[in-house]
Amino acid sequence: MPMLEPGRLHEVFVQGDDRAAGMVFALCRDRERCGEKVLLVRSGGSLRFCGEGLALMGIDPARCTFVAVKEERDLLRAGLEAARCPDVAQVVLETRGRFAGYDLTAGRRLALAAGQSGACIIVLRCDAPPRSSVAWTRWAVTGAPSVPLETDAPGWPAMEAELLRWRGGPSGGRWRLEWDADHGTFRETDRAPAPVSGAVVPLSCVREGGDGDRKRSRAA
Amino acid sequence: METGSDPARPDPFALVMRVGNALRLSAVNVPARRLGLDAGMTLADARACVPSLLTRPADPVADARALDRMAAAMARFTPTVGVDPPDGLILDITGCAHLFGGESGLARQAMALAGYGALHALASNAAAARAMARYGPEGEAEGEDGVRRLPLAALELDCDALAALRRAGLRTTGDLARLPMRAVAARFGEETVTRLRCLLGEAASPVAPRPARSPIRMEARFAEPLIRTDDVLDVIESLLVQAAREMEIRQAGGRRFVVELCRSDNARRGLMVETGQPVRDCAVVLRLLRERIETLADPLDPGFGFDSVSLAVLRAEPLPSSQPELGAGEGRDAPPDGLAALIDRLSVRLGPQNVFRLVPCDRHLPEKAQQPVPASRARGIAWPVDGDRLPRPLMLFDPPQQVEAIAGVPDGPPQRFRWRGRLHDVRLAEGPERIAAEWWRKRTGHFPGKAGPTRDYYRVEDMAGRRFWLFRHGLFAEKPDPRWYLHGLFA
Repeated sequence: MPMLEPGRLHEVFVQGDDRAAGMVFALCRDRERCGEKVLLVRSGGSLRFCGEGLALMGIDPARCTFVAVKEERDLLRAGLEAARCPDVAQVVLETRGRFAGYDLTAGRRLALAAGQSGACIIVLRCDAPPRSSVAWTRWAVTGAPSVPLETDAPGWPAMEAELLRWRGGPSGGRWRLEWDADHGTFRETDRAPAPVSGAVVPLSCVREGGDGDRKRSRAA
Repeated sequence: METGSDPARPDPFALVMRVGNALRLSAVNVPARRLGLDAGMTLADARACVPSLLTRPADPVADARALDRMAAAMARFTPTVGVDPPDGLILDITGCAHLFGGESGLARQAMALAGYGALHALASNAAAARAMARYGPEGEAEGEDGVRRLPLAALELDCDALAALRRAGLRTTGDLARLPMRAVAARFGEETVTRLRCLLGEAASPVAPRPARSPIRMEARFAEPLIRTDDVLDVIESLLVQAAREMEIRQAGGRRFVVELCRSDNARRGLMVETGQPVRDCAVVLRLLRERIETLADPLDPGFGFDSVSLAVLRAEPLPSSQPELGAGEGRDAPPDGLAALIDRLSVRLGPQNVFRLVPCDRHLPEKAQQPVPASRARGIAWPVDGDRLPRPLMLFDPPQQVEAIAGVPDGPPQRFRWRGRLHDVRLAEGPERIAAEWWRKRTGHFPGKAGPTRDYYRVEDMAGRRFWLFRHGLFAEKPDPRWYLHGLFA
């Protein structure tokens, strides 16, 4: 599974309800950067970050700087400035919808800035169809059913990540990532285990009754 | 004033300093003084007298710093505060006492502010007040009589002169003051007379107050009004260069810069920029000012031109000048481009409240447990990590989103809920985590039923594998038909 390499531009596509999963994918994918500064640029909305939730995922809220912008132009500009700043290890731009200002030129600018400063730039795109861009990797992330805890409680965070595009290798992989609380990181697991079959009455191949008789006579 | 004295523990205590080749007491507290110890004794003698004596090494530098801090704090009583090293402060309270309930009231407040076991005295001049505080008996009558009843030690003469005075049968300063000054000068030296006259107020004993820093303020006036904004920026740059020079002398850096532009029709326009770190570099401030001008709601309208431009550094903090490194010829002059500079730029453009960090608050309600603080002001505060607490979602809705939910049993978790027109079937659920309303913040909250609805939080996962944080607003005992809200999204 390719990493979210530093010094590159990455895109993560999510649907509206999976924003948290996409954000966690962007922030927690690589443990090496866990001590570094993160700048999150997002358009103001009703959804806020919760510091305790961030801390739970191993991200210290004290090293996160949040920038709330109103317009797409400001978002791109702030993102570009942050990408040029050598002190910032990771810049996450959260966008919603079509995001017309983010074209090939804007993407190339971000990618160049990332290459110069060595920051990892992640554009999180909510409710947007994937389209061609200069990103190094492009992911689609959805939440995945978790392995329940003993009391039928929701288990540790789990998600499915699909690699839509990768400039450094073959694309098309699909991974299931699950939170490993012991190591404080996401690890790849097998696809969700198939539900254990319960007590189900087996179907006989020859059905009784009028319907079965008709089928049998037609076959004959 | 005794550094380190602890009123809750009246054990004899002393600070010890190495003088020459011996350890000597440099300060003692009141119980130690009652036991016969005094500053200047060797530690061995003191230990022989009081075996239970507690000691600490003296730290004169820290004492001086504490005294400086205290002098700065005393500025609330009077602008004229003099430091009397090593352990005294002299306040000129002429014309200030009535604001604090008279002289005794002021003295009481000042002692409380000082916070140490301190002695004070009031007198008509600085030297007399100092002598009475240090040598006068406590609770003695103040004023002219008090000064005349002081022991001769209050003159602080050397031992020989003091012994000569004692041998002449003199006991108090009053005894000495009754003698003709010429004879005293001839017999005991000029110094004795000078000290005595200072005490009696016949000679001046001025207080050297801490100089109040004049604000850093530059102004440029023009013979003809300036029309172009670029010209104004050039003027601001030259003012910034002057201000930087001034700040360099003071070893300070500005945190808040205000530019005021006066138009010829007497309209004034203020521009303010703030930085997260003290800054002396003109280029950085100018860049922020350009940002500020660009993001103004209504552009900078010169009208008939600007008559004058003034620049003030309203907030300055210490910033020592750094030594330029050898061999870094090119990179040296480049503006610092770290995270702090980035935060400053973004704060100026987007507003300080839009560039923020999260700071924990000691509150129960999840949305109140954190607070956004402008990033330029935020200092690193550690987030408490408690493994036993129930997990909190990564993102919170503000305000919580109302959903239609169906629960299997009235007090149970929801079985399905509809959010934004989409139906979610709950596969797994955990809860409730009951969070009560903050009744202590409401005026009538302590009456039963007046505190506000209790929330029952459930962590649920739907069939598609999305995890939500839902709560029922109110118990069934509190209100008949409590509503359900979606408060957060888990990863």
